[in-house]
Amino acid sequence: MSDETTAREPSAAGGRFKKPVRVVIDGREIVAESGHPLLQVALDNGIEIPHYCYHPKLSIDGSCRMCQVKIEKAPKLAIACNTPVADGMVVDTTCDEVAFARKGVMELLLVNHPLDCPICDQAGECYLQDYSFGYGSQESRTSSPRRKGLKRHPIGERVVFDQERCILCRRCVRFTKEISQTDELRVFGIGDKSHIGTTSDRPLNNDYSINTADICPVGALLSRDFHHKRRVWFLQEHESVCPSCSNGCNVKLGIFKNEIQRMVPRRNDAVNDTWMCDHGRLNYHFAQDETRVRTPLVRDAAHAAPASGNGAGADVKYAASLDVALEAAAAKLRGAISAHGAGAIGVLGSPHLTNEDLFRLGQLVQALGTPNFDMIVPVGPADDFLIKPEKAANSTGARALGVAPGDGGKDAQAILDAAKSGELRVLLVCGSADAARVLGTDGAKDAVAKLDALIVVDATRSALTDAATVVLPGLVWAEKDGTFTNHAGRVQRIRRAMEPHAGLLPEGALFARLAALVARASAPGAYDAGATLREIAGAVPAFSGIEFDTLGSAGLPLQEPGAAGAAEAAAPAQA
Amino acid sequence: MAVGVIKVDRAALKKAGGFMGINAMLKGLTVTGRHFFKNLFGWMVGKPQVFTVMFPEQDIAKPPSFRGMPVLVQMDSGKDRCVACGLCEWACPVDCIHIEPGETEDAIERYPKVFDIDMGRCMYCGLCEEACPEEAIVMSSRIEIAAFSRAGTIWHKSDLLTPVDELPRRLDYVRRSYQR
Repeated sequence: MSDETTAREPSAAGGRFKKPVRVVIDGREIVAESGHPLLQVALDNGIEIPHYCYHPKLSIDGSCRMCQVKIEKAPKLAIACNTPVADGMVVDTTCDEVAFARKGVMELLLVNHPLDCPICDQAGECYLQDYSFGYGSQESRTSSPRRKGLKRHPIGERVVFDQERCILCRRCVRFTKEISQTDELRVFGIGDKSHIGTTSDRPLNNDYSINTADICPVGALLSRDFHHKRRVWFLQEHESVCPSCSNGCNVKLGIFKNEIQRMVPRRNDAVNDTWMCDHGRLNYHFAQDETRVRTPLVRDAAHAAPASGNGAGADVKYAASLDVALEAAAAKLRGAISAHGAGAIGVLGSPHLTNEDLFRLGQLVQALGTPNFDMIVPVGPADDFLIKPEKAANSTGARALGVAPGDGGKDAQAILDAAKSGELRVLLVCGSADAARVLGTDGAKDAVAKLDALIVVDATRSALTDAATVVLPGLVWAEKDGTFTNHAGRVQRIRRAMEPHAGLLPEGALFARLAALVARASAPGAYDAGATLREIAGAVPAFSGIEFDTLGSAGLPLQEPGAAGAAEAAAPAQA
Repeated sequence: MAVGVIKVDRAALKKAGGFMGINAMLKGLTVTGRHFFKNLFGWMVGKPQVFTVMFPEQDIAKPPSFRGMPVLVQMDSGKDRCVACGLCEWACPVDCIHIEPGETEDAIERYPKVFDIDMGRCMYCGLCEEACPEEAIVMSSRIEIAAFSRAGTIWHKSDLLTPVDELPRRLDYVRRSYQR
C-alpha cells in the first residue's frame, strides 16, 4: 500500500529517484527510470502483463495478484506493480511458473463471478473476459453455487453497482479516496465476506462518480446513462474534447448509427489524466435531441412562399434554403450599413465555437466594419480539480483570436442594452441561449421589437432562435472538425464524429459565405477547417506552428512569449 | 493433390443426341409424359400419385436441419428468452438484425425492446443461432417472406416470437450440432 500521496498531482508515484537503470524483461534490455513500477515499464515497452488493480493514476494496491512475474534470484514470484525497477533486474513474464500462477488467480476470481456476460454492459471491454480467454482455464472445477450479492444496486444517482461481479480490486475505493477525495466507497467485511459498499448515509454522488465505472475492470460499477444502451463493440470511437467547460478534458465519443451513445475520458496527462466530471460526460444529449436547429429559417414577407397558404404575413417563419437564408441575412446587414452606418450592427460571438469558426467570424466583423463585437461567456460552479468556472470550451481561444469590442465599440452587455433601446438596427448572435439568458424574457421581446433584424447562428433552439428574423443552423462540436483552446491555452483537436444533416455547414463556412455576400464578393471556396487553422497560424502569432498535423491527439499550448504553458509543449500523450 | 480431369468425348455425345439433339428431347418428353399419364389416370381412379404439394394450403414437414427464417423463442411464461446481448447482431454477415436493449424489473434484467430482422436481407446462414448464448434465436421452418413493401419484409419482435413448444426439434438439433 502506498502512503498518503495525492495522486491528483501527475506522476506522484515515480517522483523519488530519477536514475536510469537497465532491466531485462523477456530477454529484451530496457532502460528505465528507477523507482518506476516494473509493470508500468513493461507496459510502456509493449510487454503485456495482465493486471486488474494497478492503475497508472492511482496508488498501488497489489490486491489482485494477477501481475505476478518471475524475477531472477528472487525467492518466489513477485507482483510487477509493486516492484520498483532496479538495475540488473532480469524478469520473465512468460515462463510456465508465471502462467500457472495466472491460471490460479483467474480460477479464484471466477469462483464467484456470475456468468452474466450476455447482459453485462462491460462485456467487450472487460478485463476479466479478456484475461479469462488469454490466461484462464476453459473449465470450472467448482460445483458449489456462486456467492449471491446485490444486483442492480443504485449505489449513486449515476452509477449502478453489481456486487456479484466485483473482484475487489479496490480501484474505485482508491479513486474516491485519492482523486475525488470524497471517501464514499469502502471495503466492508473480511475474507470471503468482503464487499464494496458505501456508508449508509452517503451514496456515491460526487461530481466524478462515473469515473469509477470507467476504472472498474469488470462490470460491477456501471454508468446509469449507458446502462443497457448499446454493446460496446458496436461503437465507433472518435477522439474529441469535452465541450462543457474550459478545462477541455480529452474524450472519446462512442457513436452508433450517427448518434452519440456515450462519452468517456481519454488519457492526456497535461489536461485531465484519465478522468472527467459527470456533468461533462452526460452533457452530450443536446447534440441529438429535439432542441437542435436543423432548418434555415427566414421570417420575412418578401421570402414567403406563395404556396404556403397559411396567411402569409411578416410574422410567419419560413423554412428556407441555406442560400436564401444567407442572402436574406446579408441583405439585412447591407441595408443597416447603408442606412445607419456600420455602428448600427452588433455581433455577439460565442465561446462554444471553434477557433476556426471564430476566426471566420472575426473576418466577417471586419468586413462589416462594426466595432460592436463581443461574446458572452457562461459561468457556473467550479472546483479545484477539473471543473472550471467558464462553461464553454473555447473562451480562451476566442480571447486569443480577438473576440472583443473594437475601438469605441460596445461590450456584450452594452450590445444587448443597445438592442433593447433601439440603438442597434441589426444584431447577429451566436450562442443564442447565453444571450437569451442575459436578456431575459422581456428583454428578448423588447430587443426583437426594436431591431430591424435579429440574425441567429446556432445549433440549438433558444428563445432567440424562436424570435429571430433569420436563423442559420450551425453544427454541434461532434459534427465538425476544428480546435478548442482550453483555459490554460492548450489548443486541442476535435473531430467530426457524426455526420450532420444534409446541407448543413459548420459556422466557419456560414461566416465566410456571409462575409462574401455582404461585400458582394464572389463566393468563397469550400470551407476547410485545416486550411483555416493554417491561416490562423499565419495571422495570429499565438497560434504559430499549430496545425492539425502537429496537434496530435494531445494538443499543443498557444505560443505565448514567456507563458508557463510553453514548457509543457512536449508533454507526452498516452493513449 | 492431382486434379482429376474428365475428358468429354463431344463427338460421341453428339452422336447419342441424334439429329439436332432429337434423341435427348424425346428421352426427356418420355419421362414427362410418363408422369403426366400416371398422375392423370391416378387422379381419375381416385388414387393420385402426385408428389407435388398444393403449397399454400399444404405443406411438407421439413427436417430439423432445415434453415428457414430465424425466429425468437418465447418461453412458457410469455416472455422472450432473448436478453438483447447483441451477439447475433454482431455475427450477422448481412447486418439484418437490429436490437434495442431495455431494462425490466425481472430477475433477468435485460430484454430486447426492439428486435427487428429484415427478412429481405437475411440469407438464412444460421450464424445468429450459432452465436446465441441463450438459445433464444433459432432457424424455423417458416419460409414465407412475401410482403407488399420493403418495410413489410422487416419482421418485428411480435412477428418473430414463437412459442417454445413449436420448436423442440430444432432446439434439440441445435444442442446436438453445437455440442451444447
